[in-house]
Amino acid sequence: MIKIVDLHKKFGDLHVLKGINLNVNKGEVMVILGPSGSGKSTLLRSINLLEVPTSGQIFFDGVDITGKKIDRNRVRQRIGMVFQGFNLFPHMTVLGNVTLALLKVLKIKKEEAVKIGTDLLIRVGLKDKINGYPNQLSGGQKQRVAIARALAMNPEVMLFDEVTSALDPELVKEVLDVMKDLAKSGMTMLVVTHEMGFAKEVGSHVIFMDEGLIVEEGLAQDIFENPKHPRTKAFLDAVLY
Amino acid sequence: MEGLSNLLEKYFSIGIIWEILPYLLKGALFTVIFSASSEIIGIIIGLVTAMIRTSKIKVLNQLAIIYVDLFRGTPLLMQIIFVYYALPYVGINLPAPLAGIVALSVNSGAYVTEIFRAGIDSIDKGQIEAARSLGMSYAKTMRYIIIPQTFKRVLPPLTNEFVALIKDSSLLSVIAISELLRTAKEMMTWKLNPSSLTAAAILYLVITLPLTRLVSHMENRLKKSDAH
Repeated sequence: MIKIVDLHKKFGDLHVLKGINLNVNKGEVMVILGPSGSGKSTLLRSINLLEVPTSGQIFFDGVDITGKKIDRNRVRQRIGMVFQGFNLFPHMTVLGNVTLALLKVLKIKKEEAVKIGTDLLIRVGLKDKINGYPNQLSGGQKQRVAIARALAMNPEVMLFDEVTSALDPELVKEVLDVMKDLAKSGMTMLVVTHEMGFAKEVGSHVIFMDEGLIVEEGLAQDIFENPKHPRTKAFLDAVLY
Repeated sequence: MEGLSNLLEKYFSIGIIWEILPYLLKGALFTVIFSASSEIIGIIIGLVTAMIRTSKIKVLNQLAIIYVDLFRGTPLLMQIIFVYYALPYVGINLPAPLAGIVALSVNSGAYVTEIFRAGIDSIDKGQIEAARSLGMSYAKTMRYIIIPQTFKRVLPPLTNEFVALIKDSSLLSVIAISELLRTAKEMMTWKLNPSSLTAAAILYLVITLPLTRLVSHMENRLKKSDAH
């Protein structure tokens, strides 16, 4: 579904991605691990074209989305993204956040958009917050709204960029539970996370990144139980105590 | 004591003020009309220019910078004179009221550009990314996400700008527009008594004070809503 070929990204002199090759198949939950600064977020953001690659290709359903003639807005409609900082729209209600793109991008009728939005908010357990504003929500609730907002576009892939890192510890689970349900429903997901429990339980595949390269990849089970690369070993030892 | 009674007679003559008040009110009305219409046009100019300033179109961006520098860096009085007296030489003949509004609008637009630009820049980049990641175009992101949030933040500085514009509109007297200050000066020559200036000052305050109070009210509310 997603095929990345020799992807490079430079920010000025800073070489963040140094040749990434990666395949993600439909229904896979790909967990991206690695120390900070290893390029995990940049990789994720490149897939959504929030970063323009310096060189290399990203194929989405066989089409190179880094090409000049690609309608980036179209591509992004098919790829949902959830951010560490929620990025909810503070001037809109919770339902308004979820239905905005349905109304303004897909131009769906109001009643239908409200129905889709309401169903999604029920799904993430926020039925009673529908008419509230983002500033009335806890971090965990905000992040669940952000997930519902991304799902509203009915994306084929979901990208999660350290979505629990800004949360108080006791709020992490409610967000991970929503993601777990999503994984079970067959959604293709790429997840940058430091939640090892989640990675182990929900991840089907794992890649480990260091200094802009994928140093190890494989089935989640194999990597956690039997990491090959010394960097992966050291990292897992450190984060798993 | 004599000095005081002279001062009162010269600058605070109730009788004269009462007599000329209708003229002054008419002048005040002109002041409000000229500054309000210029402010509205200035906001439109400023909004468009600010969007150009925050976009990545290089040529337009440079032009916008030149525009802002030019009109913020030269006296408004000079700009008014140019629009009214110099433009006819290139075939643009504007009647005084229109020339006045053009000069005030373009001048105010330059200030409003910077207000909006600062407002747009103050919105968290994550807002743009979230909107774009939903497949919204740059234009839609601006319209539905960035500008509505910007408006709330720029309302206080924008109102301050409006207050400045109301006072600056007195410069229109150089092209013979009978706004408040010019009317007051005419009344002063007519009555040989400057009490009309005092009355005009009070009328300026009547117009501007509610606005400045409104600004502090808005700033307080903004502080509260940002505190969440």
